[in-house]
Amino acid sequence: MKEEEEIEMVTPGEVLGKGSEVKAGKGAYLSPDNNTVFASLTGRRSLVHPSPHSPDQRPTVEVIGHKAHGPVPEPGCVVIARVTKVMARMASADIMCVGSKSVREKFSGVIRQQDVRATEIDKVDMHSSFRPGDIVKASVISLGDARAYYLSTAQNELGVVSAESMAGGTMVPVSWTEMQCPLTGQIEQRKVAKVGA
Amino acid sequence: MANQTLKLGGGLPQDGDAICVMKAGKLRFMKPNKYWVESSQKRYVPSAGDNVLGVVVDTKPENFLVDIKGPALAFLPVLSFEGGTRRNIPKFEVGTLLYVRVVSANTGMNPELTCMDANGKAAEYGVLKEGYMFESSTGLSRALLSSPPHPVLEGLGKKLSFEIAVGINGRFWVNASQSSTVILVGNAIQKSESLSLVQQKIYLEKLLKSIQ
Repeated sequence: MKEEEEIEMVTPGEVLGKGSEVKAGKGAYLSPDNNTVFASLTGRRSLVHPSPHSPDQRPTVEVIGHKAHGPVPEPGCVVIARVTKVMARMASADIMCVGSKSVREKFSGVIRQQDVRATEIDKVDMHSSFRPGDIVKASVISLGDARAYYLSTAQNELGVVSAESMAGGTMVPVSWTEMQCPLTGQIEQRKVAKVGA
Repeated sequence: MANQTLKLGGGLPQDGDAICVMKAGKLRFMKPNKYWVESSQKRYVPSAGDNVLGVVVDTKPENFLVDIKGPALAFLPVLSFEGGTRRNIPKFEVGTLLYVRVVSANTGMNPELTCMDANGKAAEYGVLKEGYMFESSTGLSRALLSSPPHPVLEGLGKKLSFEIAVGINGRFWVNASQSSTVILVGNAIQKSESLSLVQQKIYLEKLLKSIQ
């Protein structure tokens, strides 16, 4: 597949082509009223030729390349988030990284009580799983509601990656449910992520 | 104190190997190994199992938001009443005074309250109607709840008839048939905090004589 790049900046709302001639790719959408493809992001217009085997021989038009586009969480990807608030039935977290890239703007995520772990989900105590300030690795379940993405830590590799104890020291994981403070030796309960091979 | 596992309570954080004192107050000890610093202050730190006086601040679909003089508002689930179901949710106005029990108070989370005792009965919890609520310090609340009973409280109780509810969060409520009695009892208790035992006796005698 060859990429034909035209150095043409487009802004949201600009016409990129007719729906009969091009397919809408990333950053573009097809308006059903008049069968036209419009841009929905700011960036460079790029045309991607279709593979010769596909039945639909229309090229795909995309809007890419603008510096302001940071990574955006999608359902299924693993994110790193910092827990901001812990409540009785859910914990709020600020998403900081998507995969290995850090985000440009803040995204909010929510970890519900039933998504903390895979077993005994109605007996989960949120306070023994997360505390405000913990760094957690979670996967995005869905786009959630208008306020936040829905995150889940219900796998062995997901959960608290780094946490500070009440005395202020960075804690060391001891088991899947406990972390220990190196300064005082106190054990605190968390949903710990399995790190490493 | 060699080779003992100590339980440190409030006011005694551990700094490496040394235990330091962070609050001014009396160092208290309970066998076998509990130490804590007891002080009297206006601020209340919520802890599970406390009986407190709360004021309703807001109503949400699942909880009432109640102010209990702590760092955060406490949540009182709408079903935490004896025989509470979705059909008979109580309607509390903003400003209603409640006698409630703290169920859980984890750091960083809003405390959770209930109007039932451990068996699910209403016990004495619920709305406190009429009367007047006074503010006090946490030390005075503890003194009012201690046994043997507080001398001023006992002395007033012998001559006057009133009812009183004490919250460990630095609030107490007094109700009587006449508002002059309520004012008298409330002021007497608040004044007695700064008096020593002997002074309290003298103050009480003078007060009761002046009522006659």
